[in-house]
Amino acid sequence: MTLPRSLQGRLLVLVLGLVTCTWIATATLTWIDVRHELNELLDGHLAQAAALLVVQQGSELDDDHRVDAPTLHRYAPKVAFQVFHEGRLALRSSNAPAEPMRAVAARAADGFETVDIAGRAWRVFATHGAERDVQVFVGEQVASRNSILWAVLRSSLAPMAFALPLLALAAWFAVRQGVAPLRLLGHTLAQRTPQALQPIAVSGAPSEMAPMLDALNGLFRRIAELLDSERRFTADAAHEMRTPIAAIRAQAQVALGATADSERTHALRATLRGCDRATRLVEQLLALSRLESGAEPALADVDLSALAKQVVAELAPLALGKRQVVDVYASDRCTVRGDATLLSAMVRNLADNAIRYSPPGSLVRVAVSNEPGAVRLTVEDSGPGMSPRDVERIGERFFRVLGSGQEGSGLGWSITRRIAAVHRAAVRVARSESIGGLWVEVRFPVASACA
Amino acid sequence: MRILLAEDDPLLGDGLRAGLRQAGFRVDWVRDGEAAERELRGAAYAAAVLDLGLPLKDGIDVLASVRRAGIALPVLVLTARDAIPDRVRGLDLGADDYVVKPVDLDELAARLRALVRRAHGQPQERLCVRGVTLDPAARSVTQAGVAVALSAREFDLLHALMLNAGRVLSREQLEQHLYSWGQEVESNAIEVHVHHLRRKLGSAVIETVRGIGYVMGRDPAKPP
Repeated sequence: MTLPRSLQGRLLVLVLGLVTCTWIATATLTWIDVRHELNELLDGHLAQAAALLVVQQGSELDDDHRVDAPTLHRYAPKVAFQVFHEGRLALRSSNAPAEPMRAVAARAADGFETVDIAGRAWRVFATHGAERDVQVFVGEQVASRNSILWAVLRSSLAPMAFALPLLALAAWFAVRQGVAPLRLLGHTLAQRTPQALQPIAVSGAPSEMAPMLDALNGLFRRIAELLDSERRFTADAAHEMRTPIAAIRAQAQVALGATADSERTHALRATLRGCDRATRLVEQLLALSRLESGAEPALADVDLSALAKQVVAELAPLALGKRQVVDVYASDRCTVRGDATLLSAMVRNLADNAIRYSPPGSLVRVAVSNEPGAVRLTVEDSGPGMSPRDVERIGERFFRVLGSGQEGSGLGWSITRRIAAVHRAAVRVARSESIGGLWVEVRFPVASACA
Repeated sequence: MRILLAEDDPLLGDGLRAGLRQAGFRVDWVRDGEAAERELRGAAYAAAVLDLGLPLKDGIDVLASVRRAGIALPVLVLTARDAIPDRVRGLDLGADDYVVKPVDLDELAARLRALVRRAHGQPQERLCVRGVTLDPAARSVTQAGVAVALSAREFDLLHALMLNAGRVLSREQLEQHLYSWGQEVESNAIEVHVHHLRRKLGSAVIETVRGIGYVMGRDPAKPP
């Protein structure tokens, strides 16, 4: 049997099923018990009546004549007796047959037996006198016992049968009341707009519902936070796009309105720089959104040393332009399990930051080394470094140290952190002890050893 | 007209400065909030364009402290923050206009001209004083229906005098109107420009108040 899908229906079926089962069990037990008691009692009466007849016959029925006892009670036809004296019928009730009610081939077979007389079941008790000359049979129709049994059962069980529908109604009402908080919750949830993420409160909710409500509200809270962060990100991204676009627009307009060639050229070059900046910002946003979508990176064995050298070589013109010295310490082969594209984006971000935010003539140092159980990448510079307050905020999307005069988007750090997280690498930022500027360390846990 | 531009983004600041110069403004460009506040407190600008996300001191704070100091020049806030609460806050703190990036340079110039005009109680874009009509947008001057050709400095000097018609402006005040930083100002520059203006417009147009400066009187016909 499949239970109904609604909780209310389920509870109702279970409660009523249980009540019915209990009721049937009670009825069965009552039946067995009453029948037993009734049989004991009536059998006792039969035996006593028989004993009475035996005693009487011993003294009075010496004469050899048959007597039919009259019917004295309306119940009497259901009871019959026979008295045989020395094998002949001496006395019987009017409804008793002439033949012995029980076959008494074996004289010893005294006691009770249920026999069939004229198509009816009779409970017959047989006994005899002390000298074995008197044989007494007392019988009673079994049907009469059954009707008593039924009457007893009827009177004791009928009220319950009547009560069952009322009980069903009451149970239905009670269950309905009991599951009301659930129904209220369902109703509240159904009524919600998709934007509604405030916690749900169900008045009078039972304690059993508390874990569910807590879980639900926790989920709402997390979704709200996620949506909020997404919304903030979108707003911040739009905000960040505005400045390069405003610059492009202003410079293009200046170029249009320029009267001198040098002015026009300057403005057009600035327009192009603005376009490059907007492109870079868009690329970074896309990279970040890809990283945050949770897609697993394509894992391969990457030699971080070779990768660092290559990236620094690409950035060298930028550093040379600022008369900076970039040292690379990456002589050992250091294998990291990771995504080469992401890792090189990370190294590029770090080295680019160091070059970009250090004044001309500074020193930038990139090192890749083997440590027990880890590969360590450090990028440090002799620039101004960052205040502890700024170090705390680094990695917040779009956070950048203002006043650096550089056209950063503030996304590079977010991206670096995400890439590190994807590779389960730990990032630390501090002041460089050796050359004084910013010091960044990325530690990659290494399963495969460095050669 | 001398404008202070406070914008930390190098590319945008450069573009705005060039664009506003093309529109005939003298532009001083500062890149952080502290410099902006220092300039606003120290020099006479016709108006200021203020970015909000400035280093060292936020544009909103600059605006608030400048207003507290009783400096009433028109301030146009130029920002990427476009949420209504941001705009309301900016305007409530004393901004005269609130423009969201990106902005059209012509519109920015027009808004600045309007701000300056309103700050001087001029209801109309064109200024008319003593038969001389000056159109700040077109940067043209006519007298009795005849166009008068003026140099940029002469135009700016006339503009300043006409905006402040009836008020005496000192030589220093006029210099501040005309020159941005780093520009060499010869000691008699203002006298030379006034002399040229008088030659082109007639000597009665600009009066000298001895020991104080110059003034363009209101038209006798107009109510004061």
